[in-house]
Amino acid sequence: MADDVLLDVRDLRVNFGPVRAVDGVSVAIRRGPFGIALVGESGSGKTTVGRAVLRLVPAAGGRIAFDGQDVLGLRGPGLRAYRRAVQIVFQDADNSLDPRMRIEATIGEVLVAHGLARRGAVADRVAALLSEAALDPALASRYPHQLSGGQRQRVAIARALAVSPRLLVLDEPTSALDVTAQARILALVRRLRDERQLAYLLITHNLAIIPGLCEQMVVLYLGGVAETGPTGELLARPAHPYTLALRSAVPEVEAAARRSRIILTGDTPHAAAPPPGCPFHPRCPLAVDICRTRVPALQAVAPGRQAACHRAAEVLSGLRPPGAPAQLAGEP
Amino acid sequence: MKLEVRDLRVSFAGHPVASVPELTVDGGEIVGLVGESGSGKSMTILAILGLAGTAGAAVTGSVRLDGQELIGLSDARLRAVRGARIAAIFQSPSLAFNPVFRVGAIVSRALRQHGLSAAEAGERADAAMRGVLLSPDLLRRYPAELSGGQLQRVAIALALALRAEVLLADEPTSALDVTVQAEVLELLRELRDSRGMAILFVSHDLAVIAELCDRVAVMRSGQVVEQGPTGQVIAAPRHDYTRELLAAVPSLADPGLGE
Repeated sequence: MADDVLLDVRDLRVNFGPVRAVDGVSVAIRRGPFGIALVGESGSGKTTVGRAVLRLVPAAGGRIAFDGQDVLGLRGPGLRAYRRAVQIVFQDADNSLDPRMRIEATIGEVLVAHGLARRGAVADRVAALLSEAALDPALASRYPHQLSGGQRQRVAIARALAVSPRLLVLDEPTSALDVTAQARILALVRRLRDERQLAYLLITHNLAIIPGLCEQMVVLYLGGVAETGPTGELLARPAHPYTLALRSAVPEVEAAARRSRIILTGDTPHAAAPPPGCPFHPRCPLAVDICRTRVPALQAVAPGRQAACHRAAEVLSGLRPPGAPAQLAGEP
Repeated sequence: MKLEVRDLRVSFAGHPVASVPELTVDGGEIVGLVGESGSGKSMTILAILGLAGTAGAAVTGSVRLDGQELIGLSDARLRAVRGARIAAIFQSPSLAFNPVFRVGAIVSRALRQHGLSAAEAGERADAAMRGVLLSPDLLRRYPAELSGGQLQRVAIALALALRAEVLLADEPTSALDVTVQAEVLELLRELRDSRGMAILFVSHDLAVIAELCDRVAVMRSGQVVEQGPTGQVIAAPRHDYTRELLAAVPSLADPGLGE
């Protein structure tokens, strides 16, 4: 394993009963400042990967190493130390903040639990954390319902920062917010990345928020990796038809950037009953016979890039579904 | 004009929350209403539906459907308009369906309340499901057995089955994946173009508005600060707030981190 890898997830498997929610996912997260995005639709397994990293759901197989140390076998003080180093921010701050606790108590609780401050002596630390999250320290005396959605999410980020983590898992941190509040949260993450040398795993279904935040991205489909590689290259020249479809679904303001849609018909199949062959073939506009029978392996398609598609080489060199322009706006 | 809103004011205990001097939607047209949380978009929708009163708001002004004034109509007369002529879909389709009934039972009950026989309701529901590209078989399932995108389509199918002329869509895609959002937007365009529906579409996202709407009104703190043809508003915004909303939209073309 390369020295600059902070968290190394290898061949992770998570089962919920008979359902293979995550089926062999590998992600390497470098030391901060570094951002990697985990992208996919509902049901792709992206949130489950994030929770497995935090040890909030048990892994059924694979390895997770943090700083070279095994994570899945951690117990007691070791697990506690790991959970200080890796923090999570959930999608819905309405549900992740206790409605009956003032903000100061919510953040103070974390400081006390990890022995970083004594009960009753947290005010200064809480004020500093709120300022760092671009919030007025006076908000410490408020309850969550007195804050806006964007403010609540920044409180959740301040709470995560309280234990000085090295890795943040950001699970759809802006999906419940409007675009203006979203822009402020993204700018905050960008600043913290540099100031705190943070590494983060950004879980999202919206490709548009990735370029400004993440060097690398992993596209998940039905619990497996469809495609992975450097963000710029992957978005400019996808090798998997699913990435093409995700990209074309992003709404754009600029008329020039708007492209003709690849509308996927049908919903994500359920992991309890995966289709034979490539899991994407029932929705894929480029599917051919082999896709219906053989599961494509995740293979190198370019330096630093992998894709699991029988037609990856063709897609990479410009194959497009009928109706979609061969040259998409934004492509070199 | 299909739907005409004039001098609409919504207030709580004398405190104004939405003020719309003029907003019109014609048949075969999608008009966008854009702004942040708290800008008054949803209150405007509720006022048009005649439901703002149930939330405790006072409403003055005029809302006309094909020239007929709706403000001040009795509840009984409003019920004949609501659903049958003006339909609405909301952000969370799962909250719009009672979880203990099959989807088909919910749909056919709404149709029968508007005077259809059980047999007619069944036929209309099946046809409307096909109209939103869903199998009528889904009507036999429970809401929890459908995805968010499927449920939102069923909500739209109900509007079709009732032959609604106006559709009020309040953030109907904000809770959906971008891929599913693209499908629902495509469906709304289709309703506009092939059925001549008048659609008022509420969103916080100018990119979605840009892709969908013929005209747009920008709301901030209860006031309409700018309105006009979508292309014009986006190419040459006249209000600072519109520029702010534009700048907030993330884009695939945003500069990367240089790797």
